Amino acid sequence: MQSPVTPFKDDFSLDLPTFERLLDFHVRAGATAISWPHHKGESLSLTIAERKRFAEAAVRVVDGRIPVTIHVSALAVGDTMELARHAQKIGADGILAITPYFWTPSLAAIEAYFVRLCGTIDLPVISYNSPSYLAGVEITGELMSRLIERLPNFIGVKEASFNSEKFLEISRAALAVRPHFALLTGIEYLLPSIPLGGVGSYSAAGSICPNLCSQLYDACMQGDWPRARELQYKVSWLWLLFRDQYPSSLKGGMVMMGRPVGPTRPPLPTASKERQSHVRSELERLGIFDSEPHGW
Amino acid sequence: MIGKRAAMAVLTPGLVHTPVTPFTREGDIAFEIYGRLLDFHLASGAQSLALPMHIGESVSLTDRERRDVLEFAIARTKGRVPVIAHVSESGSANAAALAGHAQEAGAAGVIATTPYYWTPPHAMLIEHFVAIGAATELPFFVCNAPDEMQGTRITAGLCRELIAKVPNFAGVVDLGLDWQFMIQLMTEAPRLRPGFQLISGTELMVSAAAIGATGMFSSLAAMAPRMVRELYELCRAEKLFEARPVQEQLAALRQAMKGGGVAGFKAAMRVMGRDCGEPRAPVLALEAVSLRQLVSALDAIASLRSEPRGW
Repeated sequence: MQSPVTPFKDDFSLDLPTFERLLDFHVRAGATAISWPHHKGESLSLTIAERKRFAEAAVRVVDGRIPVTIHVSALAVGDTMELARHAQKIGADGILAITPYFWTPSLAAIEAYFVRLCGTIDLPVISYNSPSYLAGVEITGELMSRLIERLPNFIGVKEASFNSEKFLEISRAALAVRPHFALLTGIEYLLPSIPLGGVGSYSAAGSICPNLCSQLYDACMQGDWPRARELQYKVSWLWLLFRDQYPSSLKGGMVMMGRPVGPTRPPLPTASKERQSHVRSELERLGIFDSEPHGW
Repeated sequence: MIGKRAAMAVLTPGLVHTPVTPFTREGDIAFEIYGRLLDFHLASGAQSLALPMHIGESVSLTDRERRDVLEFAIARTKGRVPVIAHVSESGSANAAALAGHAQEAGAAGVIATTPYYWTPPHAMLIEHFVAIGAATELPFFVCNAPDEMQGTRITAGLCRELIAKVPNFAGVVDLGLDWQFMIQLMTEAPRLRPGFQLISGTELMVSAAAIGATGMFSSLAAMAPRMVRELYELCRAEKLFEARPVQEQLAALRQAMKGGGVAGFKAAMRVMGRDCGEPRAPVLALEAVSLRQLVSALDAIASLRSEPRGW
């Protein structure tokens, strides 16, 4: 599943025509779903009004060709609820929400938060577990199974621990209560998660190399582990390239792929010319220019 | 399994059991029981042994005892399986001395984690591991165990440097379980050193095997050797979807054992009919309430019923 970046003009204002082109590119390049705006989409650097405006654009442009989910996590819980209601109103297919920011909430507080969120809307809700970015705050296996039992529209998790023990803790707890609960990894760590019950992932590198992402997913689902390993090493190498000050270098790489999406909003830096050429040489070394689409 | 390749012996340890160290009531090493325990491990599918690991209370053994335990194990197993010596220490010279002893005693390899206590920065880790590697010609495995070592981690960059500086650095035994690290390591290290091995340091092997791990260190093999063997073989045959049920059973067992540490482990050994005594001070034996909780948690794991009881 692809989570598009957010294109900006040189003055850092939203670039709607490029966003529309990008959404269409992802659909044509084989995305199985669109989800926007993840942290990669600079969600926390957008105003609530901007988030609503582009959410409407995403639903309109994708036009039912594949599902669209909206990431509603905001610093203030009130804004999150507002974005969730808005997503439902505009006809999105679901929402995604991380555990609350900043407060290092207790398990009881996380539970109350998801109960409130899932009660606010009828749409399916995918939770987002990212302890390494949130001071260790996480949904434990036990809490996950309690939430599934309480909330009929709590249907999946974007899991970003990237750790065998955490993944097994959650998969064992969740799948025992709801066998079709969707275990998705935060980015393309498909090789280590699919054998344990994972069913897919969101993508970091999909705007650079959509073909590679689809090939990796297919190889894992077919259990072709030697091929999956080779593809996973490649995709993960790209993640190392983009991880630092994400999505700054990713946006730099998109310039090289003929799909420029403008600068990154501060406090993140915009990829310099030097950074862009480093990204270019790594993409060349991995053969990305030969195997992936150039331009829109 | 052991052959010569250039200057360095090659060791592909496969399924490695990591035995506890049995103690008498008085707290001495119970060698008679230790012998029986090692026989049990060999009869239960161990392809190598590594000892005394943390589960074997290495840090509570004196220097003399660590050497005695290794020599005893090598004599008892008579070359039927390779024995890997665990040589972790705070001081680099102490660790290096244990590594030198391991070679003299006839061990097949050595393993060491990061130095205790010092919360070492990168340069200190390099120096420490270089000193250990230089003290022996045996294959040297570095152990990544951040949860046991106050968060000190092995990084892919550190391994890159060690490959350049330590000719017998043979691989990483990983207890960190971090996919980002394992994938980066396996993307880089085998290119720089053909034959470089990633070994799963726990029974959570499926993801590691998908990434390219070829071996497994297991302490739980002392409790559930059949499940451990089944998981290992499915992983090695790359039957990863088929491995999921037994992986989940072992994850459940591991979770049940997690709170109790080595005291819980020894209590569970007694439940399985293989009494190895209590842990040494400062670790206390499990008190009654925790013991009852552990016993009922183990009772709830159905698959444990088909595991061997007694010796």
